[in-house]
Amino acid sequence: MLLHTLNRSPRSPVLDQVLAAMGPEDRLLLIEDAVIGALPAHQGRFESVTGRVYALHEDLASRGLLALCDEAVRVVDIAGFVALTEECERTVSWY
Amino acid sequence: MQDETPPADLLVILRHAPHGSSWLKEGLDVALVAAAFDRRVTLLFMGEGITALLEGQQAGPLGQKGTAATLAMLEMYDIDSLLVEERGMDELGLTSEQLMLPVRRVADAEIPGLLADHALVLNF
Amino acid sequence: MRYAILLLDAPYTSQAAHSALRFTRALLAGGHVVDGVFFYHDGVHNAARLAAPPQDEPHLVDAWAELGREHAVPLQVCIAAALRRGLLDEKEAARHGKQGFSVEPPFELTGLGQLVDLGLRCDRLITFGP
Repeated sequence: MLLHTLNRSPRSPVLDQVLAAMGPEDRLLLIEDAVIGALPAHQGRFESVTGRVYALHEDLASRGLLALCDEAVRVVDIAGFVALTEECERTVSWY
Repeated sequence: MQDETPPADLLVILRHAPHGSSWLKEGLDVALVAAAFDRRVTLLFMGEGITALLEGQQAGPLGQKGTAATLAMLEMYDIDSLLVEERGMDELGLTSEQLMLPVRRVADAEIPGLLADHALVLNF
Repeated sequence: MRYAILLLDAPYTSQAAHSALRFTRALLAGGHVVDGVFFYHDGVHNAARLAAPPQDEPHLVDAWAELGREHAVPLQVCIAAALRRGLLDEKEAARHGKQGFSVEPPFELTGLGQLVDLGLRCDRLITFGP
């Protein structure tokens, strides 16, 4: 099981790259600009990985997106980010 | 069934075209250094990174070297595992015959396994 | 666990340096060992000793240096990427006949082989890009 991080907007073609690269157990953590992908309006883009999408609390909060986050997205803080990297065998960053 | 060769140490993913930025060059530099230290390296060209393999590239007007000469040297470094993303090839409308080096096309479904099989994955 | 960090963008250009710094601090707070932070591509600008951000903004260069000193974390800057971008320590400045220098300890200029070594030696390598 790998962790993938994404820091680009859900409209970026980089999202297609990370979705293509994710294995059936892999997890996706949205950080920086990618947390916009946590909005309910964008959940269609993440259909293939639903339930395995995480978003960084601090980056949601600083953008005023915390209360708008979709229920299917799991919110983790920076310690949770560290924990994800421990649990997953390796981390691949997409930017 | 086991593959005949063990998985390589390092997978370098190259996603950027030559000349427009230094991502491709600096990604390739990591691959060359790793190979020089006797690490087995796989290169995966994704998306527009595939255009790095096109025939007929030239230096830029200010003498920018580009990366074609580096790619031509890969064999000397024993980097012979060159993969291209099939979907990227299709999106660019390119065929393997238009590329300067022999490559293996990989389907989307193979990419997760590739990432899982390498001890280190660096994405450029 | 043993971690390595790879930072690929300049401070104050994107959020990458902020994210990498926060993540590295969280690793140390969580009891992990950070074997090195490697600065490559535009990430080498994090070592710019002359950076002078406004006082009400986080000083990323100083923050890295402090983290490096306090926790004995090597701050390794790719020498080829750095020299191209005008980031030279005292020794390299002298070697290239330049007045002044732009990189100082605890940042150290080093070869790209260090990145490969770090990545394969550590349990985890986490990349922060632009």
